[in-house]
Amino acid sequence: MNKKNLLSIIIISISIGLIYNYLNPNGIPFIREERILEFVEEDSLSLNRDSINIVITDSTSIKSSTETSVKTEVIGQKEIQPLPTEFTKPLAIKIDKAYQLYKQGVKFIDARMPEEYNEGHIKGAINIPFDGDESYRDILKTISKDEILVTYCSGTECDLSILLGDELFEKGYKKVYIFFGGWNDWLEKGYPISKGGQ
Amino acid sequence: MKKIFSNQYFLLFGRIVIAIVFIYAGAEKITDPKGFSQAIYNYKLLPIQTINFLAITLPWSEIISGILLLFGISVKENASIIASLLFVFIVAVALSLIRGLDIDCGCFGKGNPVGWKKLGENTLMLIICIALMAFDSKIFTLNTKKTD
Repeated sequence: MNKKNLLSIIIISISIGLIYNYLNPNGIPFIREERILEFVEEDSLSLNRDSINIVITDSTSIKSSTETSVKTEVIGQKEIQPLPTEFTKPLAIKIDKAYQLYKQGVKFIDARMPEEYNEGHIKGAINIPFDGDESYRDILKTISKDEILVTYCSGTECDLSILLGDELFEKGYKKVYIFFGGWNDWLEKGYPISKGGQ
Repeated sequence: MKKIFSNQYFLLFGRIVIAIVFIYAGAEKITDPKGFSQAIYNYKLLPIQTINFLAITLPWSEIISGILLLFGISVKENASIIASLLFVFIVAVALSLIRGLDIDCGCFGKGNPVGWKKLGENTLMLIICIALMAFDSKIFTLNTKKTD
């Protein structure tokens, strides 16, 4: 074996990799940054409750004038809200806040693989496996960018909910929560679940 | 056994298969560097500062060694590079299995979970690479120089 050749191949490969990454618009930083989860504070979540109502009212087709006036009123409340209703990045929540949002009818997204989803998932949750086929993401076309979403995976050890949360945020969903604790915490608490495919 | 491993047609076949696998694997990773960086991170084996350097350079190492192997250029050297990579992959996958990590292996883009199958495939390719390092593949090559 020619050690000179071996070394040359390795050096050339590394150099091409670095140059390509530098020129590539989708290139990554040389040093990876750690993703630090930012948790929602109690107060900010309760303030956001008004914005949840807005989303629900907006997505419902308005039939009567009474409902229209309700909508205007809620939007009026939104205007006087001191806090922004959009996040700067997906925010993490724990079981209590997740259940609070669940009761308010917020959409939950299961980021695990379909096999795990079919075995059991949060009742009403949809499945967008982060590592799965792109076709699973088609369902996003039916979800408004204003809607509040909660992503989750197995528990505290998995990253899929964070990755999916970040991906959704990049796609324009600006109200994404990451349910840290996920399926394991939900099951432990005995909150509503269902089984089978979506 | 030695007769099979030193058979030039066996070595040629092995060389082409490994070359194609590595060119494909490298190309998949290059199209999604962010995804590959995440896949390395998920193994939780390396310091975070080293992950992106690997994610940037390793796919090119796979592609270049794969192409050179396909054309029979510096077979022993390229087989040794790929063998080293395979050895690292085997250790990483085995450790993940022992630790019970349910992660994507990051081998060919998304959708390849770590598992015994992956371990078997890698071991098989490692054996072929060792045979290539030991006996060289001398037919259908563009190599003009003797490298020994």
